Amino acid sequence: MTAAITTKNLGKIYRVGFFMRRVEGLRGLDLEVGTGEAFGFIGPNGAGKTTTIKILMGLQTQTSGTAQLFGVDVGEASAREKVGFLPERPYFYEHLTAREVLHFYGQLSQMDRELCSDRVEMLLERVQLTRFADITLGKYSKGMLQRVGLCQTLLHDPELLVLDEPMSGLDPVGRALVRDLILEQREAGKTVFFSSHILADVEAICDRVAILVGGELRACGAIKDVVADRESLESVLVGEMTRVVDESALGVL
Amino acid sequence: MGRIWALAYNTYREAVRDRVLYSILFFGIGVIALSLVMQEITVGDRDKVVRSVAQGAIAAFASIISMFLGISLVFKEVERKTVYTILSKPISRWTFVLGKYLGMMMTLAVQVAVMMVVYTVLLTAQQSFPPSVVFVGAILLMFELMLLTAWATLFSTYSAPTTAAAFTLAVFIIGHLADDIWVFGSQLENPVAVEISRILYWALPNFEIFNIRQYAVHELPIPWDQVMGSMAYGVCYTAAVLGLAMLVFERRDLK
Repeated sequence: MTAAITTKNLGKIYRVGFFMRRVEGLRGLDLEVGTGEAFGFIGPNGAGKTTTIKILMGLQTQTSGTAQLFGVDVGEASAREKVGFLPERPYFYEHLTAREVLHFYGQLSQMDRELCSDRVEMLLERVQLTRFADITLGKYSKGMLQRVGLCQTLLHDPELLVLDEPMSGLDPVGRALVRDLILEQREAGKTVFFSSHILADVEAICDRVAILVGGELRACGAIKDVVADRESLESVLVGEMTRVVDESALGVL
Repeated sequence: MGRIWALAYNTYREAVRDRVLYSILFFGIGVIALSLVMQEITVGDRDKVVRSVAQGAIAAFASIISMFLGISLVFKEVERKTVYTILSKPISRWTFVLGKYLGMMMTLAVQVAVMMVVYTVLLTAQQSFPPSVVFVGAILLMFELMLLTAWATLFSTYSAPTTAAAFTLAVFIIGHLADDIWVFGSQLENPVAVEISRILYWALPNFEIFNIRQYAVHELPIPWDQVMGSMAYGVCYTAAVLGLAMLVFERRDLK
């Protein structure tokens, strides 16, 4: 069976500043996420999580290696046919209403008009936005926008959900709602790939996890195998971060 | 095609709900209406002065709207990150640029149509129903806007609105002075300089070839040769500039 996500030796180098200084955002990432899996992608800020996700979504081009979604190269627009993506802090057209924006996304996914209308109403109801559906998005709070973001992610009933910090900036009620939605999708057999700083959510939702530090994959596997004899996922992550700092210090010496 | 239409209609819908657009449009309509008053304070052929000022106002305000909206057309999407969710759908980048561009042209077509209706109603009330050359002139204005917007779109695919505004304004001014480049070049003695002026003339856009306002103001017969030639020029040049915009955006990393 074709994996939902495959990356081989994926690398990304950024050129920054006036002198185009070379900064390595991602180094030799090998990853395979099977269909129907809930996969957590964790790491500190600047670890390369968002860079990986942007490459997978065709928003950035990798400097080296390959990346595929359901066996199709991410450079092809068709690779994203079965994908729903929620960026960190999603932004939408502020002069449009939630209902209009969702219909727009339905058209982009070439959904049948009737099916699209049904799904829009169902999802708005599910995220408790029905009574705000005809208000322009410029008047929405951050949490409400995140919920609209989730609706557009799920609208075309994708096989793979790619969620970048889906709980970021949400209140406890919003977090619970998002977590329940993700769990529902997992139960429905969808593949869920998500990055998060909130490790408790990762532990509650995911089957497998990958730890990325300094653009490099430090650990990957079932949560119980990654944690092994250590206290928690958090202690593993902190340990990997410390090891990277130590390795850099040794490199300097 | 469905995706391009969805992007175009959405761009149009978002643009027409922007209050700034209405400020420019109402100001334009105000100037058109004011031009009728000029009949009372002008000497000479008063009717022609009114027609000239009103038609000039339509072209000027349509160009302002084109530049104002065009310079941030793609950049705003990247800056506000609205592009992330759109491009995560199975949409190629060229589809995105084309959809945004067509939505922008729909917006401009409606703006020009509104100003033309105001002009026609006011002129019919004051003088008589405008001859067909006036409407052909408005169609040519749309071809000029098509090219100007393509340039603005190109600049907005890689630069911030202020830089894009400066570049687009420069193209707009140069495009209206293109004939002068040819004339000045002809008067030069250095053959290299003459050649450079010729290359510049052919490479830079010439917006004046879309201008048949003198025919419209003086109510002369429609210059069909110029009309057809400039339409073909507009389509080809726009396709080239828009193609370049797509190419630039295709290669851009979205930070």
